[in-house]
Amino acid sequence: MLEETLVLFKNIRNPEYDKSLAGYKKSGGFKSLKKVFGMKPEDVVQEVKESGIRGRGGAGFPTGLKWSFMAKDTGKPSYLVANADESEPGTCKDRELMLKDPHLFLEGLMIGSYAIGCHHAYVYVRGEYFPSIKTLNSAVDELYADGLLGPNPLGSGFQLDITIHTGAGAYICGEESALLDSLEGKRGHPRVKPPFPAVSGFNACPTSVNNVETLACMPFILSDGGAEAFKSFGPQNNSGTHLVSLSGHVNRPGVYELRMDVNMKDIIYDIGGGIRNGKKLKGVIPGGSSSPVMTADEVDVLYNFDDLAKKGTMMGSAAMMVFDEDTDVVKLLHRITRFYAHESCGQCTPCREGTHWSRQIVRDFLSGNGSDEKLKLLNRVGGNMMGTTLCALGDAAAMPIQSFVKKFPDEFRKYYAIA
Amino acid sequence: MPVFQIDGEPVEYEPGEKVLSAALRSGKMIPHYCYHPGMSVVATCRMCLVDVIDMGNGRPAPKLQTACSMDATEGMKVETLNQKVEEGRKLVNEFLLVNHPLDCPICDQSGECTLQDYAFEYGSGKSEMDYSKRVNGWRDIGTFVALERNRCIQCSRCDRFTREITGTNEFGMFNRGHELTVDTYADRPMTNKFQGNMADICPVGAITEKEFRFKRRVWKLKKNHSICTGCSTGCNITIEHDRNEVFRLKPVENQNVNKWWLCDEGRLTYRLMNERKMRIHQPLGRVDGSLAGISWEEAYSAIAERVSELAPEPQAVLALTDTQASNEELFLLQKLLKDVFAADNVFCPLPKWEQSESDFFINTLITSDKTPNRAGALALQIQGDEKNERLTKTIENDLKVVFVLGNPFAADLDVQQKIKQAQLVVHLGVFYNAWSEIADVVLPGQYYSEKVGTYTNKQQRVQSTEIAVQPLRRTRPEWQILAELSQRLGQKNSFENVPQVFTAIAGETAAFSGLNFEKIAGLGIELTKKIKDNGKKIVSVQT
Ligand SMILES: Cc1cc2nc3c(=O)[nH]c(=O)nc-3n(C[C@H](O)[C@H](O)[C@H](O)COP(=O)(O)O)c2cc1C
Ligand code: SF4
Ligand code: SF4
Ligand code: SF4
Ligand code: FES
Repeated sequence: MLEETLVLFKNIRNPEYDKSLAGYKKSGGFKSLKKVFGMKPEDVVQEVKESGIRGRGGAGFPTGLKWSFMAKDTGKPSYLVANADESEPGTCKDRELMLKDPHLFLEGLMIGSYAIGCHHAYVYVRGEYFPSIKTLNSAVDELYADGLLGPNPLGSGFQLDITIHTGAGAYICGEESALLDSLEGKRGHPRVKPPFPAVSGFNACPTSVNNVETLACMPFILSDGGAEAFKSFGPQNNSGTHLVSLSGHVNRPGVYELRMDVNMKDIIYDIGGGIRNGKKLKGVIPGGSSSPVMTADEVDVLYNFDDLAKKGTMMGSAAMMVFDEDTDVVKLLHRITRFYAHESCGQCTPCREGTHWSRQIVRDFLSGNGSDEKLKLLNRVGGNMMGTTLCALGDAAAMPIQSFVKKFPDEFRKYYAIA
Repeated sequence: MPVFQIDGEPVEYEPGEKVLSAALRSGKMIPHYCYHPGMSVVATCRMCLVDVIDMGNGRPAPKLQTACSMDATEGMKVETLNQKVEEGRKLVNEFLLVNHPLDCPICDQSGECTLQDYAFEYGSGKSEMDYSKRVNGWRDIGTFVALERNRCIQCSRCDRFTREITGTNEFGMFNRGHELTVDTYADRPMTNKFQGNMADICPVGAITEKEFRFKRRVWKLKKNHSICTGCSTGCNITIEHDRNEVFRLKPVENQNVNKWWLCDEGRLTYRLMNERKMRIHQPLGRVDGSLAGISWEEAYSAIAERVSELAPEPQAVLALTDTQASNEELFLLQKLLKDVFAADNVFCPLPKWEQSESDFFINTLITSDKTPNRAGALALQIQGDEKNERLTKTIENDLKVVFVLGNPFAADLDVQQKIKQAQLVVHLGVFYNAWSEIADVVLPGQYYSEKVGTYTNKQQRVQSTEIAVQPLRRTRPEWQILAELSQRLGQKNSFENVPQVFTAIAGETAAFSGLNFEKIAGLGIELTKKIKDNGKKIVSVQT
């Protein structure tokens, strides 16, 4: 069987691991932070750039570059906000990190804060993640008690506070600018960009929003030789290990830490143990519900940002949802369109109206009112949301619609051909 | 100023300005709903799509851009008319209509509805939506406006209005996705004094003025530029009327005065324009102790006869006016006393008044001085003081002839008692009041919607009104009455219209020198030499 490559899950995969601060320290924790405190912040950012890490929140934007865009000498404080809103359907990797090794993530958050000169970092946690919230809060308490947070951690003279903030359960609050609005106490509505958060983010101050997993990679990247090693875990431009949330009709669903040069086929058949009940594969949603769907014939591809992009889809948050031959694709799409209709913030026209309308059309197929015209209309409504909205949720809602219609047209026809 | 191109034509922009803002300023129309120049940019309606074929660096933008949020840059080339843009607009409009009730026949906005206009201009004319539409229903949101949420296009202008303009935060967006809607917080009606503006800025018929609802189709309304005389701010307005009835007042943008806004109290002054019961309909003369209708000729000759009988000394002649009167009326009243009687006893009330100071500009619109021309009276040096001390001393004289313009010192019974004893009291006014009761001759004037005039607002900006509606048949504008009176009393003057009077003001007074009527007619002009106003008190208002 293919082996996991353990960087983020090094502790988690150790059955003896004690996730308390003492346990984390014993396993070598906070060495990187100590090293980082001896470096210049610019050099930390440079190391991160060299590691080639791309954001794990979905967009895959190079983290080092993002940090180097932070507006400097503005006279305003800078902020680092960890995006722990994890709500993309199928994604459940940040939860693993927060629940089972909170200090790894928090050390990463502290390293990031030092790198961008942030003295008050926030963790915006998805509202429904009660156990994670509890774990994070007690971990932060431990850090304060130990002096690792507050005025002078490790004698560095660097001041840092961390606040754990819970969301109220809206998917859109995972979008970084909506997250910042929500954090400020407003309705979570995505903002107009530019200005980007790096210039005007939390309370109109320079802000970087980073995914939990992205930050959890920092202790490794900043360890001795870490950046080089990190880069070696995948093809060029797709460095590092990453957490794959594998779900659906496989025998062994779960979150796996993999290099970025693993074939998708192997993830399904080897790591995932193949399709359950000996069924045949019908398709895969490769990177969270927003990513264009792939058919069984298309899965022979390396599972990373660039190779999937070449196939016309995307890795997104690395949440693979596998479905077998018995799956009703129209019902599946109906579930997805319901999700986006429910989660659209509603402020911009194409997404507000399009997510709801497309849901109505898909439902029409299920109730036997489909037709060739309706299928065309569905595709057109999806297309009209694509690239026309304020934030990426519009695209996220459009991509499954268009790809389902394109790749499984017969499944839709089955619903009305009989009549 | 740097330049970029829209449809091949150069357009100037200020550094940092957005494409839409620069386009609109230069008179180039790009359709839009959510953008409002007075509020923050949210870029949510997606109607203002343009095709940026060159971002200023030789490269095109990858997809259509919203002009309201796109920075203009040197050398940028924008297309607003090509097929790509047309398709973009068409699809946005289609989305806006899928859940729209399209009840235009019973919608007050119909005829001035942005959605209706754009649907005609850019829409496809057919709908492929065959499910039942979203229903949200009607809400009572305040004293002045009604909300029909089914017609709302979620542009959030109203939301931004109470957040950014009034700072009252009474109104907001609720729910999300296709259920996103607007409402007041905690079911409480709004209390801000500027609700009418929400009806103005709402691009559709979702928020409408209660006062106007179901009264008249808007395309029947004729509009005339005017000034709100509800207070000394002098907000620029249009008087909107049909068949000689005024239906509403709407603000006209004037960045130096009211920006885009108008207060609700000011809007309600339209009612006075339709008032008939309180009006003086024809000249009146006192016959056997009571007032009776007479002709203009009879009125003028009666006055001329009495004046020559009395042959008053200058100190026995007095004129009182309020500061509702226009600059021309004040000037001619002064001139009448000076030329005919060599007198200069012209008085007006000049009480203390309060100007608010606030973080929110709109709060500074309302002043406690509810008259439009206090500054004009000061500039023309009409006499008066806070406690009417000089006037009280002057009326100790034995008065023979008194002219009263409008309704000054309405609450001052002592003054009225004293004036009553004068030999001849002439009242010029629009509405019948206590002065008419004691007058020997009453001359009917015209309300400001019926005549031309200039007024000097609290910033000492001179602005003018147009004739909007026909005056009552047997009334005359006060400037004309005063000019005719002075002719009947032996003076040669030939004022035939208000611009002529204004020219005389500009020629004869220091404060108005250099001004000219034509130039004032647009957005007004400030006096170059500021007059000191001792009655002004600044108070601070928070929302
Ligand atoms: C609709 C929407 C939902 C999102 N939800 C999440 C989320 O739950 N978690 C997350 O980390 N990023 C989410 N993102 C991506 C963030 O906007 C942002 O790109 C990310 O947090 C940046 O972190 P990274 O650079 O570490 O990837 C979402 C984006 C969109 C458009
Ligand atoms: S695309 Fe959808 S979620 Fe994003 S801002 Fe527009 S309405 Fe809101
Ligand atoms: S808001 Fe406009 S489009 Fe809608 S019903 Fe009224 S007039 Fe018609
Ligand atoms: S009520 Fe009018 S102004 Fe307010 S969001 Fe709806 S359409 Fe816009
Ligand atoms: S005006 Fe630009 S998006 Fe609404």
